[in-house]
Amino acid sequence: MTDFARLLRALVEGGVEFIIIGGVAATAHGSAHVTVDLDLIYRRTADNVARLSAALAPLQPYLRGAPPGLPFVFDVETIKRGLNFTLVTAAGDLDVMGEATGGGTYDALLPRTETRAVFGLDVRFVDLATLIHLKRAAGRPKDLERIAELEAIEDERRAMAAADDD
Amino acid sequence: MDRWRRIAKPPILGAVSELPAISLEPNPVIEAYKKDVDRTLIRENLKLTHDERLRKMIAMLEFIEEIRRSSGMKR
Repeated sequence: MTDFARLLRALVEGGVEFIIIGGVAATAHGSAHVTVDLDLIYRRTADNVARLSAALAPLQPYLRGAPPGLPFVFDVETIKRGLNFTLVTAAGDLDVMGEATGGGTYDALLPRTETRAVFGLDVRFVDLATLIHLKRAAGRPKDLERIAELEAIEDERRAMAAADDD
Repeated sequence: MDRWRRIAKPPILGAVSELPAISLEPNPVIEAYKKDVDRTLIRENLKLTHDERLRKMIAMLEFIEEIRRSSGMKR
């Protein structure tokens, strides 16, 4: 099972600039679904790519689903040559993306994030409206039920805010 | 290694891009699913902090894992 706290601690303590998207962001916004991996967008600058590689090195990242023994090393050169990586690590499954399906890079998403304290760490999550946008843009049939729930969360938040105003 | 060869050229480090415009027209499938969303669960979750929501989800994952273990199922 993925140890979300351990993964996030490694990234935060390593000074990595990243934004949480996907199922964990949905959970943080109030989704009742469970998710088994951590999806994040990393900033594709030379410094941050170096920090990402160094932060994850102790967790021995490897390509998820790949046969064992490939000469894969999640180092700066690998990250520069690639973009999105689906990894398995000693702390569980981790998807690190330079760009989200739907076109969101770190810098494009940054103004659409909120920082929240989880597991004693301050981490950035994509905001709810943008999470819905990304899922709609991805256009995957499996996301339709999730989008319905996320839009219902938006409705409930609006209703709560309206009730607070009364 | 061919399987893992990149398909498209990755963006240059440091490149900035904007979110693409997408249609936000109501989708009939999403609208149909929305009728079945359990809003009581959402309302309970919205009373929690972000940290509490994640811990609750992890507790559920552990529960599922325990059931799988006890019944000999694998993920």
